[in-house]
Amino acid sequence: MGAFDPVQTFEKGTYIETDTGNKVSRKATILGATNIILGGKSIIQTRAVIRGDLRRSAPGQHVVISMGRYCLVGEGAVLRPPGKIYKGAFTFYPVRIADFVHIGADAIVEAASIGHGVEIGAGAIVGKFCIIKDLVQILPDSVLPDGAIVPSMTVWGGNPARMLSSLPETYQETIEERCKSYYQRFRAV
Amino acid sequence: MQSVLYHCAHLEEPRAPLPPSYPSSFADFAPLNHLYFCEECDAIRCDDCVAIEVASYYCPNCLFDVPGANVRADKSRCARSCFSCPECSSCLNVLASEQASDSSRAATASGTSATHSSSAPYLLSCPACKWSSKEIGWKFDKPTSLASQLSQVYSAPEDVQAEFDALKDHLEGYISQSAPPPTAGKGSGHHRTPSRHIAQITQAAARALRREVPGMGGPRTGAAARRKAGEKSDNRAGWDQLAPYEAKDSWKEEGLQRGVDDVDTMRKLTGEEVAPIEKRWTSAWEPPRMSSETMPQRIPLQAKLTKRCPHPTCRHILIQPDTKTVRMLIKMVGGNYLPAIELGRRRRRLVDEALDGLTEEELERRRRERRRTRINLAREEDEDMTEPLHPGEVYTFQLAFTNPLYDPVQVRLGAAHQPRGPVQPSHHIFTPTAHFTVGPLKDAWAYDEEDEDDNVEDDAGTGGAAGHGGDSVSERAKARMSLAGLPSSRHRGREAEVEKRGNVTKVGLEVEVLPGASGPVEFDLEIRFTYRADDAEGGAGPAEGPGEAAVTGSGKDAKEEYKTFTFWTRDIRDMDAAVAVDGQPGLGLLTQRVWTSTRPNGAPPPGGIELAGPADMQKGGQAERDGA
Repeated sequence: MGAFDPVQTFEKGTYIETDTGNKVSRKATILGATNIILGGKSIIQTRAVIRGDLRRSAPGQHVVISMGRYCLVGEGAVLRPPGKIYKGAFTFYPVRIADFVHIGADAIVEAASIGHGVEIGAGAIVGKFCIIKDLVQILPDSVLPDGAIVPSMTVWGGNPARMLSSLPETYQETIEERCKSYYQRFRAV
Repeated sequence: MQSVLYHCAHLEEPRAPLPPSYPSSFADFAPLNHLYFCEECDAIRCDDCVAIEVASYYCPNCLFDVPGANVRADKSRCARSCFSCPECSSCLNVLASEQASDSSRAATASGTSATHSSSAPYLLSCPACKWSSKEIGWKFDKPTSLASQLSQVYSAPEDVQAEFDALKDHLEGYISQSAPPPTAGKGSGHHRTPSRHIAQITQAAARALRREVPGMGGPRTGAAARRKAGEKSDNRAGWDQLAPYEAKDSWKEEGLQRGVDDVDTMRKLTGEEVAPIEKRWTSAWEPPRMSSETMPQRIPLQAKLTKRCPHPTCRHILIQPDTKTVRMLIKMVGGNYLPAIELGRRRRRLVDEALDGLTEEELERRRRERRRTRINLAREEDEDMTEPLHPGEVYTFQLAFTNPLYDPVQVRLGAAHQPRGPVQPSHHIFTPTAHFTVGPLKDAWAYDEEDEDDNVEDDAGTGGAAGHGGDSVSERAKARMSLAGLPSSRHRGREAEVEKRGNVTKVGLEVEVLPGASGPVEFDLEIRFTYRADDAEGGAGPAEGPGEAAVTGSGKDAKEEYKTFTFWTRDIRDMDAAVAVDGQPGLGLLTQRVWTSTRPNGAPPPGGIELAGPADMQKGGQAERDGA
């Protein structure tokens, strides 16, 4: 698998590598970094926007965005927590992202939770409070309406997105392999 | 990104697939990650041939696991509160009505937020297109179990329901006699046993009949009907003795009335309000003609499937899903047994003079010459895999084999021996390295040692890895190498083409596209791989030919059991007319098809795998179609 995949390189120094192996572009817009948890070996690419500053209005420390291992926030992708009016006041809610989640370039994600092994295609829009379960593929340029629930092992696409097909039983290995290989191939020149 | 399609022989004896010039031959091919593998039968199984059972039902929106007993009563749709939007098929949200939210907002504004809890009536609203059930007058008293509220209030018209029940009674007598067919294929081992026999079709029809048909609406009043059907089925009629069904009512009058209404509507039509065809053909009786007539539908349930080997005497479970999680309790997939094959690193041979105008003999002579002298003369340039191929050029690719087994495998490539197809081949395929080994799968840290072993072995031709006492894997690897009669020294020159790394081996593949060729370049490759069997399984398979036995004898340990598994691949490169030069179409993408089979003890190889194109087959297919 992936025997011929090309190496993805970046200019040395344009990415910060953390102790846990995260690679974060210096040109990514990361706000409220103290409210963001990266699980390690995740990549945040150039121009990505991550809004950790959009936190619950109640006082105290809140984790706004938590992300697992081997995740990718693609170039120009926007990841922000969903918010709504609750009891008369507008509040943001935290986002939980599990392991092996790839968010494609220029996608906009406001999901409430994203499961293990989810691939969100480039340019896709994931509406507020969407719940994406494990092992899901969201095709590029699809639009998930607010609050959509995406069950495991399905492929969604279109605008508005609907279930198009299901994934083969081997998909978990496929996506984990692909995410790990992407991380290993993404390195400095 | 699947690069190769593999052949599944279904229940037949493994065999070479039909040549790629037959479009029908592609039906038996699937990407590796869609294939299953039955250990008992030692055969590839695919989605088209496995027997399927439903393990559990669930609603894709509320994720509720519906007990199997309720599915029929619910007509295979969610019986809680999940509805799909009549306009855009998204799932509808339940909202408190606007007045209520207005008042609650007012209440919170004035600081008395106590009575925020939204109040009746409740509406359905689409988050995507903002459709609201106000448009059709649906209102609910409670925000829960909307389906049952709805069935009480908005049930189907009496006459429609009566007609449906009568029709169901009429058909049920024929459907209920779907005893499983006697195991077909007795004494006719060569014939393919269809896994979906007529009984399954009738069962499916029965299930379809119990499904909710949009536009029918309302709960089934079928208890009495079922009893009646039971009586009827005592004197079962044959399948072909289906009596004609008489409708209870003539619908002519109503149809006429509706036609008059339709004419009126059409006079005022501006085009926007006609219901789209997708909404109409899913409804059986009276399809909504105008989009204002379409109703929200309960969301169809999804099922998790158990998959079994289709062989009548095997029936082993290949896939057993866990109802609670995404894990599989049993997962016998092709990827764990067959080497993964990928196609990549395309290079174009640079030739000085044009090949046009040469006769077939001259071309053949050049080809042979080139193969003899290939290593010295090859001047090649790298090309992008997505570029179209051009007629008259010679390309080299690399085939990467990834071994999923914990033992090394010996791979042998061969061309398909096929009858000449009606279409003249547009290309020639040449595999400079037909025999090679692929290292075993192991932990990443263990590969360095193994590579050293391999090198030693390559140099000496006999095992030089004595330093690694107890490394049984490399011992076996040595046995394997010598077993296959592959003292590497003899193949030194060729081995230059081979790249080995861990459990991946890459070998060269030469594709010469003939001048004037058009259409896809497709070819089958037979891939035969030999590995050590886990245990003496000789009894499990038919004790066929001693083919491998002789080879085993020459190996170090004649008592070890080896298995040979053979499959075929097919490579396809679509010509891309968009890049046609001088009226000659270029070539797009390459698919490779392989067919496979297993034979214990190295019986003559049957079976097949298909290698599908490089990067994106679909794109290539598209290009081909465009070209056509």
